[in-house]
Amino acid sequence: MNKFTNICAIILKQNNINKFHTSTSSLAWTKSNVPKRFLEYNKKIYPPQENGEEPRPAFVCHQKTNIKYSPEKMWYIACFVRGMTVDEAVKQLSFVNKKGAIFAKEAILEAQELAVREHHVEFRSNLWIAESFAGKGPVIKGLRRHARGRLGEVRYQYCHYFVRLEEGKPPQDYYKLNPLTPQQQLDKWLEQMRKRKIINSY
Amino acid sequence: MANSLLSKMGTLRLGPAAIYIHPVRTTTSKHWDPKFKKLRAQKYMKFELPDYNEDISAMSPERIRQKMKERGVLPPRQWMERPFYISATGGVFEPYVPPEGDGKASIVSTTRAKQTVELLEKKSKSMMAIRKIKSYEEDFESKEFPQLAQKIYIAAHESLVNGDKKALREYVTEKAYPEFRHNSHQKTLRWRFLESLEPPRIVHARCTDVVSKENIFGQVTVRFHTRQQLAVYDRFGRLIHGSEILAKDVLEYVVFEKHLSNMYGTWRIHDKIIPDWAPPKEPSKLTQWKPEPEPVPEAKVEETPAIADK
Repeated sequence: MNKFTNICAIILKQNNINKFHTSTSSLAWTKSNVPKRFLEYNKKIYPPQENGEEPRPAFVCHQKTNIKYSPEKMWYIACFVRGMTVDEAVKQLSFVNKKGAIFAKEAILEAQELAVREHHVEFRSNLWIAESFAGKGPVIKGLRRHARGRLGEVRYQYCHYFVRLEEGKPPQDYYKLNPLTPQQQLDKWLEQMRKRKIINSY
Repeated sequence: MANSLLSKMGTLRLGPAAIYIHPVRTTTSKHWDPKFKKLRAQKYMKFELPDYNEDISAMSPERIRQKMKERGVLPPRQWMERPFYISATGGVFEPYVPPEGDGKASIVSTTRAKQTVELLEKKSKSMMAIRKIKSYEEDFESKEFPQLAQKIYIAAHESLVNGDKKALREYVTEKAYPEFRHNSHQKTLRWRFLESLEPPRIVHARCTDVVSKENIFGQVTVRFHTRQQLAVYDRFGRLIHGSEILAKDVLEYVVFEKHLSNMYGTWRIHDKIIPDWAPPKEPSKLTQWKPEPEPVPEAKVEETPAIADK
């Protein structure tokens, strides 16, 4: 009996040791599962520029993680704001009737604030969205009952939204589609017409 | 033609005047009876999805307690220890007051006249302090010390520029370390010590004991008049302060400290004395948003207790 209590005491002691928390309170709850690589770009320090060189545009990377929204749906919103100025993007997103638009807007505004406060950007409106994409987050699988005692899998998806703001004016043609002006279109057509070969002419 | 049109209109007019009260259903994929929606929902297994972006700091203590109880998590151990460092003092005792205009202001000015009288008194105190330092540190020479101080000064700045935090700790006390590194995060510094315009000299020395009588710290203020170059670049390599082709004359009063009682103590930069008559700082090149002034805390009106304390 005595031996048994001794063993019990030892086990109890060990259990207590295992339960000891030495980390911060936030870590006691969940383990961090946020993507980290994208924010590493914010830490890169570029070498000083020469006197006559064109000033390097400042940029800031920002992410909004673990949004309860489908990454596939977020993709449409991410594509939508690409190549816009920050002000334009915020204005447009406030009229997009989708849940993800709210998250994207928040992320852009946060990034803008960061850029001014920490990344040496002088004017907050002088920024454009150079990169904007969505990533897949954790997926929690649920169950759904089907007929004949069968089960279906339900996917509760989370997503991440990434945005990179760059200083300066947005490019004229972000997607490099090279759209022609009306005059150029006419010239091109005329050129094509004149190049035609009339068969059996000579 | 017109006749036929009229006849068509006539048939319309003669038709029964039907009034459509019930709304038109446009969504055809949705069942009209909502009971099936509820039944469909019952097919899904119910459980709570985690909210990863929950802000714990905004939660009330009761809520946190409730959550921890739910998960069977023990509260984290509180960090009760308060770290404090005893190999450096927290400030400058009896700081040196640089004379008006570096001792070149008009003798007629009142502040100058006052300072000359005070200086005599302080000089004798400095002598006493130096004598005390010598009793702990035999090699201390008040004539050679300024050269050593200048070496420490240059080494400290070079280690800051190179981002060598470990080396910087050897030249800078724990009090001055954050002040040294302040605002240098993610920036590239280009600093050069060009020459010494005047030989550095000791202008002030003080000793003090902390906690016990034997625990003595020595502080020596050295005046540097040098020529330096400084350029600060931001994270993207753009110039934000100074210039690499412009040399500036710098007049500084730097306080060096040593833990005299410590056998392995070294002289390190402790503080810098900025006189009142120093010219104003160069403004930042960047346009900045003026922060809103902090709200003035309202003076609390002390409520008179209903029952007087006995």
